[in-house]
Amino acid sequence: MAFSTIPTAGLSTGGANFRNLIINGDMTISQRGTIQTGMTSSQYPYAPDRFHYNLSSAGTWTVSQSTDVPSGQGFGYSEKFQCTTANGSLSAGSYAMMRQIIEAQMVQHLKYGTSNAESITLSFWVKSNKTGTYSVWLYQDDDGRSIANTYTISSADTWEKKTITYSPDTTGVIDNDNNNGLRVNFYLVAGTNFTSGTLATSWESDTAANRAVGQVNLADSTSNYINFTGIQLEVGTSASDFEFLPYDVNLRRCERYFQKHDGFEGTASQTTQFQSVQTFHTPMRANPSASISGVLVVTDTDSDYTQSSANGAITAGRVSTTAVQLNFGNFSGMTRFRPTQQNVGANSCHMQMDAEL
Amino acid sequence: MIQSVEKIYYGTDFNYKVIYTDGKEWSVPHDTANRHYQEILEWVAEGNTITDNGGAQ
Repeated sequence: MAFSTIPTAGLSTGGANFRNLIINGDMTISQRGTIQTGMTSSQYPYAPDRFHYNLSSAGTWTVSQSTDVPSGQGFGYSEKFQCTTANGSLSAGSYAMMRQIIEAQMVQHLKYGTSNAESITLSFWVKSNKTGTYSVWLYQDDDGRSIANTYTISSADTWEKKTITYSPDTTGVIDNDNNNGLRVNFYLVAGTNFTSGTLATSWESDTAANRAVGQVNLADSTSNYINFTGIQLEVGTSASDFEFLPYDVNLRRCERYFQKHDGFEGTASQTTQFQSVQTFHTPMRANPSASISGVLVVTDTDSDYTQSSANGAITAGRVSTTAVQLNFGNFSGMTRFRPTQQNVGANSCHMQMDAEL
Repeated sequence: MIQSVEKIYYGTDFNYKVIYTDGKEWSVPHDTANRHYQEILEWVAEGNTITDNGGAQ
């Protein structure tokens, strides 16, 4: 069919056009795991992909992928932060925030640093027992510039949809590369170092005191929790409906930053070592780090071999954004140069490849 | 938080074995775009030292 004969009605505006700058905003993908307890320091938790929990001197937390969602909105999951050890007397430098760092080359169409810079609008669903003011602070690394706006949780234990529009930044240029582009930070806790100024409602050279003025302390009770889902950041001054992506598309987008691998095939390079090459499911943002989840079991179809303890590493220099050569030690009794493969599923062992921002 | 970093050699190439205080262990490439490598640089800047045996077995 010629293009001219395709009815425009068929080009539905309801389809995905990747307008959401946030990846996994519906919290569907959770490759690392679904719950992490005892969090007191910053890391990517066993919770929905791409969301980092950044905290210091702000209590202890359990972070999880939750099935508590706003009714009738199409969401299956949210991300939940539950305070398990309170800190009612914050130090000046205390902070806790859920954040996603957007890759710089993904935000070039914001045209920051030019007179054509775009406004952006953040929308999300939130639920907490603790009502009051919360800050969402945006930060761009390349020029150290930031802007912040607040929202109010009005009703305890009730899902509410919030919308915040941020003015364009005509000054700071975001470099066109694979490094940090724009950090979207949802404050949960902020000490006076971050609350004692005047909220930066326009882009400015970042000043810590202007990031979270008025922010409540969500760490002041072990009854406190907050859930987020449906997070969307898009160009413009109004929020459109959340852009749901197919599960497989959402997974692939997350795998640019983190992916799990098993099904290793390779060779016994030594009687104690097994080497394998893995091609990534999708090219990764940068050369990733690697970590093994448990003890590996392999077979040369004659015998099975089990690691005495978990050991898996990148063979130095043998990693790119598309593939990695892995070396597994702590075996014994293997026959050199014999083709060897993983007993898939044994011990649920896999490698984790991490190229997060 | 990083507990220790060891330089691991394979021939003339190397990478880093990083152990975190929560017990997690990562094999980290020498790549400034890698976030774990960036953490190593910060850890060294704080006065910590990478264990480097020069590739001796």
